[in-house]
Amino acid sequence: MNKEELITSLKEIVKPYIKDENNFEHLTEETDFLKDLKINSANLVDVILDIENAFNIVIDNESMEKMLTVKAAMEIITTKLKEK
Amino acid sequence: MTGNDIVDIATAAAESNWRRKGFLEKIFTPLEQQYIQEAKQPDKTVWTLWSMKESAYKVYTRQYGGRFFAPQKLNCTLLTNVTGHVSINETIYSTTTTITDGYIYTIAVPLTAAITEVVSHCFHCNQPALAKLQQLVYKIIISYFSTSSGKEEKQLSITKNSDGIPFLFYKKEKLSTPVSITHHGQYAAFTIY
Repeated sequence: MNKEELITSLKEIVKPYIKDENNFEHLTEETDFLKDLKINSANLVDVILDIENAFNIVIDNESMEKMLTVKAAMEIITTKLKEK
Repeated sequence: MTGNDIVDIATAAAESNWRRKGFLEKIFTPLEQQYIQEAKQPDKTVWTLWSMKESAYKVYTRQYGGRFFAPQKLNCTLLTNVTGHVSINETIYSTTTTITDGYIYTIAVPLTAAITEVVSHCFHCNQPALAKLQQLVYKIIISYFSTSSGKEEKQLSITKNSDGIPFLFYKKEKLSTPVSITHHGQYAAFTIY
């Protein structure tokens, strides 16, 4: 999966939880889930569970800790996919 | 220094399904999961523990800086249904929670601080647009602080730093009075201490 495809699938995953449509439309690697997309922090857990299901990976607590931006999520997914 | 967090019970029920597979395990420690299992009203216990973690996180990041998403690092112990301790990296906060039919609201302070000295106001505000809601809440805080401090309302403002922590400013100068703000669904609250 290349970067573009990864961003596209991430965008699909976060869509149900976002509260800022404008920032969502202009989503980039630098986008912050909480500050930019205004995702409720309890829903960040849903995002993480949805990522786990979509990519069939397990995100440990240490990785979850950094999961605040699109970029961090992409790095974690890529690493976990390689470990499989 | 305080942190606060409010959960609108109806909004939480609509936005989050804490019963979904894996949800509780990602957020809560074994002890906290036990509190939830044994609770007569598990929904209220889930959101009480969550607001304890969030409010303690807000004080912690104000004290030490940084941002992270590690709900399990914030360990809750309940002393009663509405009071407890949250520990993180050997720092302990004491928490007080208000539970009504509409919301669950927690204030956290460092263990050594007097929670009774905290100014805390909670209010209902029906403004679904997030940006407008924030402006409204800021206005209410500034009006309150202006009255209590005698500082001119027009010269007061609130700005968040890059970690998302709000600060009060007077004539563009940062004040040392810590302010903590929370809103969710139809409720908002602030603390000054």
